[in-house]
Amino acid sequence: MFGKVIGKRLLFSAFILIAVSLLVFGATLLLPGDAARAILGQQATPERIAALNEQLGLNQPAWQRYLTWLGGLFVGDFGTSSATGGPVSELLGDRVWASFVLMGLAAIISVPLGIGLGVYQALHRGGRRDQGMTGISLVLAAMPEFVIGIGLIAIFATSVFQILPAVTLAPPGEPVWNRPQQLILPTLTLILVVTPYIVRMMRATMIEVLDSGFVEMARLKGVPEKRVIMRHAVPHALGPVAQVVAIQLAWLAGGVVVVEFLFRYPGLGQALIDAVTYRDVQVVQAISMLVAAVYVVVNLAADVVGILTNPKLRSAA
Amino acid sequence: MRTPNRRQALGAGLAVAGVAGLSACGGGEVGAADAGDPVKGGTLRVGVTGGNSADTVDAHIPVNNGDVCRSVNLYNALFGWDDDSQVVPLLAESIEANSDSTVWTCTLKEGIKFSDGKPITPEDVVFTFERINDPDDPKTAAANFSMLDKVVAKGDRAVEFRLNEANGLFKDAVAEYTAGIVPVGYDPKDPVCSGPFKLKSFTAAQSTVLVPNEYYFDHDKLYLDEVEVLNFNDDDALINALLSTQVDAIAGIPLALVEVIGADERMTILNSKTGMWLPFTMRVDKKPFDDVKVRQAFRLVVDRPQMIEQVLSGYGTLGNDMFGPLSENYPKFPQRKQDIDKAKKLLAEAGYPDGLEVELVTAPIQSGAVESAQVFAQQAADAGITVKIRKVDATTFFGDEYLQWDFAQDFWYTRDFMPQVIACSLAESPFNETHWDDPQFNKVFAKARAIPDAGERRDLEHELQKMLYDDGGYIVWGFANQVDAFQKYVGGLVPNSTGRPLSGWRFDRVWIGEV
Repeated sequence: MFGKVIGKRLLFSAFILIAVSLLVFGATLLLPGDAARAILGQQATPERIAALNEQLGLNQPAWQRYLTWLGGLFVGDFGTSSATGGPVSELLGDRVWASFVLMGLAAIISVPLGIGLGVYQALHRGGRRDQGMTGISLVLAAMPEFVIGIGLIAIFATSVFQILPAVTLAPPGEPVWNRPQQLILPTLTLILVVTPYIVRMMRATMIEVLDSGFVEMARLKGVPEKRVIMRHAVPHALGPVAQVVAIQLAWLAGGVVVVEFLFRYPGLGQALIDAVTYRDVQVVQAISMLVAAVYVVVNLAADVVGILTNPKLRSAA
Repeated sequence: MRTPNRRQALGAGLAVAGVAGLSACGGGEVGAADAGDPVKGGTLRVGVTGGNSADTVDAHIPVNNGDVCRSVNLYNALFGWDDDSQVVPLLAESIEANSDSTVWTCTLKEGIKFSDGKPITPEDVVFTFERINDPDDPKTAAANFSMLDKVVAKGDRAVEFRLNEANGLFKDAVAEYTAGIVPVGYDPKDPVCSGPFKLKSFTAAQSTVLVPNEYYFDHDKLYLDEVEVLNFNDDDALINALLSTQVDAIAGIPLALVEVIGADERMTILNSKTGMWLPFTMRVDKKPFDDVKVRQAFRLVVDRPQMIEQVLSGYGTLGNDMFGPLSENYPKFPQRKQDIDKAKKLLAEAGYPDGLEVELVTAPIQSGAVESAQVFAQQAADAGITVKIRKVDATTFFGDEYLQWDFAQDFWYTRDFMPQVIACSLAESPFNETHWDDPQFNKVFAKARAIPDAGERRDLEHELQKMLYDDGGYIVWGFANQVDAFQKYVGGLVPNSTGRPLSGWRFDRVWIGEV
């Protein structure tokens, strides 16, 4: 039963991904200009455009290029980048890892941190610390990521203290994690963007659970307070929070674009901006598919967590 | 993203013979005082905006800023341009024309070698120009060499260029950085270089590492051990990297920020006057601009000093609807000023007594482009001209309708008058945005083109300039300075008029002083 639900979701996800690829391909066709013109820019004389179109294989009709690309996808071939002339997978390989490291670090820190702070606030609700933290998380939640990023750069890299690097400058071929201090500011930016939502959701759900009948019952039965919180309250609050965490993690996959841009971080976000500017359709599609896949997987995971933490659903499964 | 695509024309392969060019400029050695005397050793880290996965180290197809930077440092052309935009020899020793400028004979320097230690021969020069002019895959410079019929190697050091028309400007054309000399069998994937540096590593859109070419003829005069060129997406990240000392020099800063960055005592501002122009382009064959009175009226509504103040933050020089301000034969026509009454009168005579409405196509093709469109719209309103601004992205601007817009903008780097005409004001010009094609003009130009000596060309050039000044389709309101910034410990960067950043990208004369 449980497996069947998951299987259905997986099939549905595949359809979503194909729909996404069609939408993305269509959208890039709507952009004026093509790869050859975008690459040549002001140098775009008819002779050079013709020569480049020939080299890039852009003379084929759009639907043919789409089908070739989709067909390649099934055998794990992401196609050829118009800009580099090389395989897309080669272009994106290092960048996928770089982005993954950034997102992973942000997720590993912000999820437990958000849940912990939320629980803490719920337990001390109405107190001065609770109010202070609520204020801070509201302010942070209201700030766009580039404002937070620029603020951090001004404080820690360029103006107030000059202790951290402002941008990422890993030499080509060297993985970004070889220079950990360059990861601090971008990771911190993402954490500051993502955590407030988790804190606020965790606090609200936790308060609801703490006020519910079964927690009261447990307390009345003389279960120690620590156990009441850890074994009874927190797991119940996690189900709904998993959805928020999922949305936040999925946001990371797309929202990392701005942060990468700001910190010159050599990840997918940068590659995407580049690819859109240069009408490198294959690369735009590959990245869009990756981001869409992250959304699908993360939401799937949230559903599983929801089922596992909900006794009613769990037994039904 | 700001202006990834830039064209520079005659501001060519400037890697002039070492420090010789430096002393020739006489413009004051900015930063040298702070950096102390030249010292050997060290790495120069340079930040550049722009760059994308199509970046190249190919000598003959540079498009963006980073490409040009690599090209200038990796390859030498036969001639190049010094800081004052004068043609100086690079790999060549001399070049002479025959009596009617149809055959040019070039002699190479003695004992010059490529980065793999092989001698640079006339055969390599022949190969280079055949590669540029490949009919199946014409390279960037091909448009400049349409008159080139055949290149023939003569002996050990001489090359003969045979042209199919009289052309006195051939020396200027071979001095372009897009005509860098490469060896027979050149493969850009593993480039063998003829410039002061050779390639150590290169990752498109990210970074390029250059090391000195030990076979370069002026190798002894190089100071640096290594040059690292780093690509940035935008100005903010670029400036942050400079302020946090992650890079030593940055190419191009927003003019509005010059004061702010200059106030930081660790930084030096490099302010170079150039012949870089950002014109409005009116198509002389399309309504309403096919009426010369309309064109004249449009030129009269511009308040040029205000334009320079607002768009360039004052970092620029006044334009007079004429290009090539550093050209030996730049004319002294009366300075055109804003004259709303006269503009209105001209418009009324042209049949627009109640004013008219036009669409101006603009795009972030160069910093200041969109801003100048906005300022122009305001200034023109006083004369009853309603300017509807249509802002598109740079790729759209250079798309299908590029060179077809009725009223738009463009940008050009420093060029002399004659080569600039070849590029943009003849029927066969590759970039004739104004569709200027005047029989009388063409006739005089053909006569002028055959004369190699600029002094002897003067009267003919003035005749051509007068036609463009009176009737042409360009509104040239000013020339933008090139402003860069670097840490005080960097030495050897001097003002350079080519319009290329950081002393024309000439890293062969840069050193890292005491930090």
